[in-house]
Amino acid sequence: MFIDYFYQLKDHGVPVSPTAFLTLHKALNQGLVQSLDDFYTVSRAVLVKSERYFDLFDQVFAHYFKGAELPDAQGLAMEEMVRAMLEQWLQNPKELANALGIDEAELQKLTPEQLIEYFKERLKDQTERHDGGKRWIGTGGTSPVGHSGFHPEGMRVGGESRNKSAVKVALERRYKDYSLEGPLTRSMMGEALKRLRHLRPAGPKDQVNVDKTIYQTMKNAGEIEIVFDSALKDRLKVILAIDNGGWSMDPYIPLVQTLFDYARAQFKELKTYFFHNTIYETIWGDSSRYKKPVTLTELARRDPETRVIFVGDASMAPYELMAQDGSIYITDRSGRPSIACLQFLAKTFRHAIWLNPVSSQRWPYTRTISLIGQIFPMFELTIDGLEKAVARLMAQ
Amino acid sequence: MSGQSFSGASRYVLDAELAQIVNVSMALEMPLLLKGEPGTGKTMLAHAIAESLGMPLLVLNVKSSMKLVEALYQYDTLTRLNDSRFGDSKRDVSNIEAYIKMGKIGQAFVAERRTVLLIDEIDKADTDFQDDMLDVLDQMEFDIIEIDKTIRTKHRPVIIITSNAKKDLSDPFLGRCNFHHIAFPDPKMMRKIIDVHFPGLSGALAEAAIDAFYKLRQLEGIEKRPATRELINWIRALQSDPDFSPKRLLKEDLPFLGVLFKKSQDFEQATRVTQRRARY
Repeated sequence: MFIDYFYQLKDHGVPVSPTAFLTLHKALNQGLVQSLDDFYTVSRAVLVKSERYFDLFDQVFAHYFKGAELPDAQGLAMEEMVRAMLEQWLQNPKELANALGIDEAELQKLTPEQLIEYFKERLKDQTERHDGGKRWIGTGGTSPVGHSGFHPEGMRVGGESRNKSAVKVALERRYKDYSLEGPLTRSMMGEALKRLRHLRPAGPKDQVNVDKTIYQTMKNAGEIEIVFDSALKDRLKVILAIDNGGWSMDPYIPLVQTLFDYARAQFKELKTYFFHNTIYETIWGDSSRYKKPVTLTELARRDPETRVIFVGDASMAPYELMAQDGSIYITDRSGRPSIACLQFLAKTFRHAIWLNPVSSQRWPYTRTISLIGQIFPMFELTIDGLEKAVARLMAQ
Repeated sequence: MSGQSFSGASRYVLDAELAQIVNVSMALEMPLLLKGEPGTGKTMLAHAIAESLGMPLLVLNVKSSMKLVEALYQYDTLTRLNDSRFGDSKRDVSNIEAYIKMGKIGQAFVAERRTVLLIDEIDKADTDFQDDMLDVLDQMEFDIIEIDKTIRTKHRPVIIITSNAKKDLSDPFLGRCNFHHIAFPDPKMMRKIIDVHFPGLSGALAEAAIDAFYKLRQLEGIEKRPATRELINWIRALQSDPDFSPKRLLKEDLPFLGVLFKKSQDFEQATRVTQRRARY
């Protein structure tokens, strides 16, 4: 049962697993679900494992149950037909009455519920098949086209609403904020970057090393000697190089700012440098790119195990990257084309990646992005991109 | 076990949806994973369940360096080593079991009655921690390697797991849990929560404070937005000030902002905005 529902969720990108689906059925079998509202809550708790998909779930749910109470065992086809008929009836009673060959006034007298029942009867007549109205869920007094049912498009047909129906709740899309499209916040970044660490023993020796203690004690012929070690602390060296020049990076300033803030709080040994568009012989320690120049030769003296993260849109005129004197600054005439400098950096630091705030769908349209992407593994500056980038940085 | 269902506790305002999820999780004997902003009462829920069902509560506060074994049991080698050396304790040195101490999960497993086990802030630990926990939660048993003994649950505990993380936990882990995200309470719900905490509070004050609170939450550029806990403390502060009257709040004259905003930047930002507003 509800296999359609399961596959609809899956098709719309909600990661649902068969195990969870079986669990849902376990819940159904135990009689834990008495109404559609219950079904909404329970199926979400069991099937959907992240609030990021709640919004999607709400949409699929609202679509699947489209305002009706749970469908009969006969399946959706009938329901859909009846709904379509009802819709047509509301729009143009005369036409439908004519089509069915009955008097419009006769139908007018019926309440909406009776109307739906009537349509159903008529449909059953036509298909001559009715597999018995075995209902799957509970007997909480909810008929398939209940008193408080909804019109397909969310319009009420009749009756007083007692409670908010699950579908209506689903239609509210309360979880829109949590869906995947949301902006990258500090805490999300924290999550993604958390795994980026390198543990080394540091600080006071205050942890007992049991193995060594036993070994030493044995060596002392049973005279206890307790060996202490120091705790593991994160000692990862990180270089963050940020493109902060020109208007092309302007839209991404808040995003990069967040990354920068987080990185500064997180990493003990973090060096931040700045550049504009791409790197020539020097990068800058100050954000105005004026006071503290650092040449690449100086940079290359740092620990080669340092993780280097470039952040930039990598979008520029191709000559800036390729030409010998490509820099847009007249004072920067080093002789080496920027692409050679980047290659030098990539060779010096094997754990180097490039984060690009430009959405990856737009990468193929900018030539310099693909050129730089050949030198450094390039990742999108999103939560998923960050995760991949971190995996890459931590790879041996 | 059956027949017991959860419907709220004295200091906890429960929404129907969550109550149902808790009850379903209890019936299915699956752990319930709760996520949500800080201050939405994730931890409080476990306390409330324990209180209302009269079960003992065991809290495992997960720490970043924690290994799962620590949560299951500890083999106190040092004490044993010492005992064997000096032989002045009453414990039997040759019996390793005397040196096994149960951790929080272990305690919940061997407890004589059903317990509520709260695994708080699981996202703090490494992913290894979650992965290791899978089997334990799945089979509801674990082995004590040192004495080659399997500990099985006598009564499956009601397991509540909380996580603050925006990122998801590992898929296999999620597969074994039910999930709920507690949204930040809306003003109506907040009023109920306040009423539970301050039974005798004047309506005008509650209304004005909640109103001001939600306005402050809306401020741009706030990093740590005040949560329920902060609001409760703030109202407590307002109550204790004899010169205070609710009318002041309506005029955007907000005292004790430091109770609501804990970060200096946030505090400055909030003060700046409220002062600007007060001038008009």
